[in-house]
Amino acid sequence: MQQLLRRAGVLALVLFLVYTLVFVVLVVLPGDPISNRLSDPDAGYTPQTVDLLKSYYGVDKPAALRYAEGLLRALQGDLGHSLADGQSVTGKLADAFTPTLMLGGIALLIVLVLTAVVGLGALYGRIPALRVAFMSVPSLIYSLPVYLVAVVFIQAFSFQLGWVPLNGDGGFAATFLPACVLGITISPPLIQVFVRSLINADRQPHITVARARGIPEWRIFTRHLLPGAALPSLTVLGITIGYLMSGAVVTETVFTRYGLGALTQKAVQEHDQPVLLGIVVVNAAVFMLANLLVDVIYPRFDPRVQPRFSHAK
Amino acid sequence: MPSSAPDTRLADLGTEPDPGTEAGPSGTTRRLRGRRIPPTVVLSVLVIAVVLVSAVVPSLLAGQDPINGVPSDKLASMSGTHWLGTDYLGRDMYSRIVHGARTSVLSAILAVAVAVSLGTVTGLAAALGPRWLETPLMRLIDVLLAIPSLLLAMVFVAAFGFSSANAAVAVGLSMIATFARVARIEALRVRSAPYIEAAEIAGTTRVGVVVAHLLPNIATTLISLAVLEFGAAILALSTLSFLGFGAQPPNPEWGQLVAEGANFFYAAPWLVYAPAAVVVIVVLAVNRLSTYLDARAFDESL
Amino acid sequence: MSRSEAPADPPLLRVRDLSIAYRTARQWNPVVHDISFDLRAGETVALIGESGSGKTTLAGAVLRILPANARTTGGTILFDGADLGRASRRQLRQIRSHELGYVPQDPTMSFNPLRTVRSQLYEILRLTGPERGPAAEAEELLRRAGIADTARVLDSYPHQLSGGLLQRALIAAAIAGRPRLLIADEPTSALDATIQKGILDTLEQLRAELGLAVLLITHDLALAAAHSDQVITLDRGRVASSPYAEALFASAPKPVAVTLAERTEDTTREAPQPALTVDSVRKTFGQLTAVDAVSFTVASGTTHALVGESGSGKTTLARIVLGLLPADSGAVRLAGRPVDPTNRVALREVRRDLQIVHQNPYGSLDPRYTVSRIIGEPLVRYRAGDRRQRQARIGELADAVGLPANVLQRRARELSGGQRQRVAIARALALNPKLIVLDEPTSALDVRIQDQVLQLLQTLQRERSLTYLFISHDLRVVAGLAHTVTILRSGTDVESGPVADVFRSPAEEYTRTLLESVL
Repeated sequence: MQQLLRRAGVLALVLFLVYTLVFVVLVVLPGDPISNRLSDPDAGYTPQTVDLLKSYYGVDKPAALRYAEGLLRALQGDLGHSLADGQSVTGKLADAFTPTLMLGGIALLIVLVLTAVVGLGALYGRIPALRVAFMSVPSLIYSLPVYLVAVVFIQAFSFQLGWVPLNGDGGFAATFLPACVLGITISPPLIQVFVRSLINADRQPHITVARARGIPEWRIFTRHLLPGAALPSLTVLGITIGYLMSGAVVTETVFTRYGLGALTQKAVQEHDQPVLLGIVVVNAAVFMLANLLVDVIYPRFDPRVQPRFSHAK
Repeated sequence: MPSSAPDTRLADLGTEPDPGTEAGPSGTTRRLRGRRIPPTVVLSVLVIAVVLVSAVVPSLLAGQDPINGVPSDKLASMSGTHWLGTDYLGRDMYSRIVHGARTSVLSAILAVAVAVSLGTVTGLAAALGPRWLETPLMRLIDVLLAIPSLLLAMVFVAAFGFSSANAAVAVGLSMIATFARVARIEALRVRSAPYIEAAEIAGTTRVGVVVAHLLPNIATTLISLAVLEFGAAILALSTLSFLGFGAQPPNPEWGQLVAEGANFFYAAPWLVYAPAAVVVIVVLAVNRLSTYLDARAFDESL
Repeated sequence: MSRSEAPADPPLLRVRDLSIAYRTARQWNPVVHDISFDLRAGETVALIGESGSGKTTLAGAVLRILPANARTTGGTILFDGADLGRASRRQLRQIRSHELGYVPQDPTMSFNPLRTVRSQLYEILRLTGPERGPAAEAEELLRRAGIADTARVLDSYPHQLSGGLLQRALIAAAIAGRPRLLIADEPTSALDATIQKGILDTLEQLRAELGLAVLLITHDLALAAAHSDQVITLDRGRVASSPYAEALFASAPKPVAVTLAERTEDTTREAPQPALTVDSVRKTFGQLTAVDAVSFTVASGTTHALVGESGSGKTTLARIVLGLLPADSGAVRLAGRPVDPTNRVALREVRRDLQIVHQNPYGSLDPRYTVSRIIGEPLVRYRAGDRRQRQARIGELADAVGLPANVLQRRARELSGGQRQRVAIARALALNPKLIVLDEPTSALDVRIQDQVLQLLQTLQRERSLTYLFISHDLRVVAGLAHTVTILRSGTDVESGPVADVFRSPAEEYTRTLLESVL
């Protein structure tokens, strides 16, 4: 328990540092979006109006003051207001979270299925050439840019085959196609580590010993190989969450879906500092929590790792 | 964390019978001496060489104007005059891809240079520097690792403004943590090797150990990582350009070419496939080279 | 060869003209050539040979557990008349679970680390179908394998048990199916000396009780001779001709008593001043006391041995002597000068006279350096002579340790283990140090090579009156090389004195146990 608290403390510290770093980086932005947009003479705003708006959004205050105020509000769960449309950042993030969660969840399932298929193929393929082919799957997928897969999938499955409707945020079918794109493109690290661990596990003396004892192969796979290979893969699963969020930016943009990824793309496009800051902090929090979860789960599956959390036993 | 390092090295790790240790040169020697460079690696080097030539002197490989097209020829399909067809403004696609190498490749090199220099210094300072420096540097690495790399690059590019050079620096900064982490782990690993202890007992000073033994022994790993990250940088940069945050029109860049082509996918699919295929081939070639270098570094460290 | 002249009972295992090859990058690489032997019920056949001789491959072939890149290129293996090479998957499973028992090499690697011993034994019992319930049967098996504390062992994970206990548990697993043939592949090579004997006794006892045939694979000649009815010596995949076998036996370390008897030279000459003084050195790591007030002196020109099993603190003590680790209390003096890691300038000066030869010849040489540069490094670092003088010195050192001149421009990875260790010795000699620490310098080498390296060390000592601090767990080697000895156990000095006295008439029980375990 003490360990868990300590880890949570470090997580909070890193999150605070993430906030600070991103704030510092974004404050060096050349000009704030209010001036950028409103000072355009065609927009028809008087300088007085511009100043009024600036002070309304608080961008005329010195950076240090804005940082302190922002941090104080952020601790209370208020991440400020969008410079682009004035809406609450917290609200925007909450709205965008659900569709991305659904997309990411399905994508992760697809990653797992893909990993299992490639793993079995690489281990039990009938001829060496087939096993080599399975083993090179991750490096092939890795070289495919997300945007390419997305564009080709839309073309093939929506336009040519007409299987999946392109528009409409609701419905499983509309989520499945982008989830496939996302799942395929973020799968290489997990597949790679899983396949490698599986083959490593297969070379362990205790597996040879088990075979020499006449234990059936399916049992060797389920009881000895799989648990051994799943453990290293668990760590990579945490990291895959990070790729998921990067991949969601492109996927949601190309599929014109609403979600955290699309919101990110828009915020960067519009130099919307508060929204971008909020997105980064939420992303970092989700990512670190996922990895913390992996660390909590890990000792339960591996007796060699000292249970780092007292409630584990 | 962008280095997902998929490699094909698994394929040739056969279990070998233990070779006699004293009888003649060891098995390792035979393997190294007898090792011919695999054909896939030769091919990869060729691909990379062609791409580098296109980046430095594109006019050598493509004569047509990549910026000003002939509008009447727009969306022409592949032909003798336009090998890869033309785009919506009648510009020769082959020429645009070759000239696009300049932005794509030089940006990726810049990104890797930023990441290698800052990352290695950070990692080595954390591993070998004074003890008080270690915690703050580790926290910095933690912070950079806590933000998904593409998102981090987007934050930087949002701050710097949209251009290919800014995108390159942004991608480079987002990759610092990878290099810092590997440099630190490698430095710690090598520092605990018995030969470092032996050198110390042989009278080598601390600085001498770092310069003469430690750096040469981590260099190969860092080089193969740099090659790998070069591929990752090409992917990341083309993604930023695809989203409109990198290279700005009319100068061609591979990701941006795909984005433009996607609007005419139905009529002219080659406008997507041609530049995208170049990205895929280059990244595959770079990864193959990286795994080869990595395997060699591994053999040499035995 | 077999004991019974009249072939009354057919052999249980009959290997005929067996040849096995491994596929490397481009070709098939034969590792076992035309091997034939018979093994009858109740009999033990020992296969001995150095690493690479094909003995483990042979065992794998009988069990049919060779890796996918191995292929039987000729010959047959008949088990009870049936050709194992033609057995179907199902028949093979049946034979493996009911007829063959396998005791593997490294006990710590041979259990699934994620599951308890109990669940792994039950998994086997499920196949063999004992009459009793699995719990009773598992306990009975462990007892037979010489484990008293059965409940604790059953409910432990492998990493919680010692190598000796794990090896016994593996023996229990091997006899679970009431096999007729037991294949033991280096069953004791990963274990400490005092435990080895007990394991072998257990195997012997089980053979007698259950009427097992035992195929014992080992590199240890003494062990093979003591525990088998028939010894087959393998040399690079062939049954060795007797001259080779004799040579191998001749180079094997002799029993302690024999070695001591042979050493007629009187080594207890009084040295006026000790080269090394270790004065009640103490070192703790947290709760653990690694070295507890150990003192000894090493006379100039002699060898002092630090003997102990793993965890006895001998390596920690060596690191303190070398100034790599500060002692909590006590002092180390080299020819009167203190070895003090906190004073780096003074330490560097002392180290000119203080060198080391590491245990692992594969890790102690920088992989990027040529041999010449490795040997010359101390000369360069201490600015000994000019470039030409250094080159001459390197050549002379290489010559002294028996390295051919053509290896000087090679890198360490191109050398064999024995050659690497010679390079390390040459480097240690470069500055004519007052003390060389030899940290198990031969434990990673094959028997014959060990012998050569030890002889080299002795010759060098005689010619250059070197002083050695020799760290070892091998009493036979110590008996042949050292003049004085300190026996360590859990960081404390059990017994020390001249080797002849300590080994001939040990005062302590622990020393006696150690000595008995190697006879």
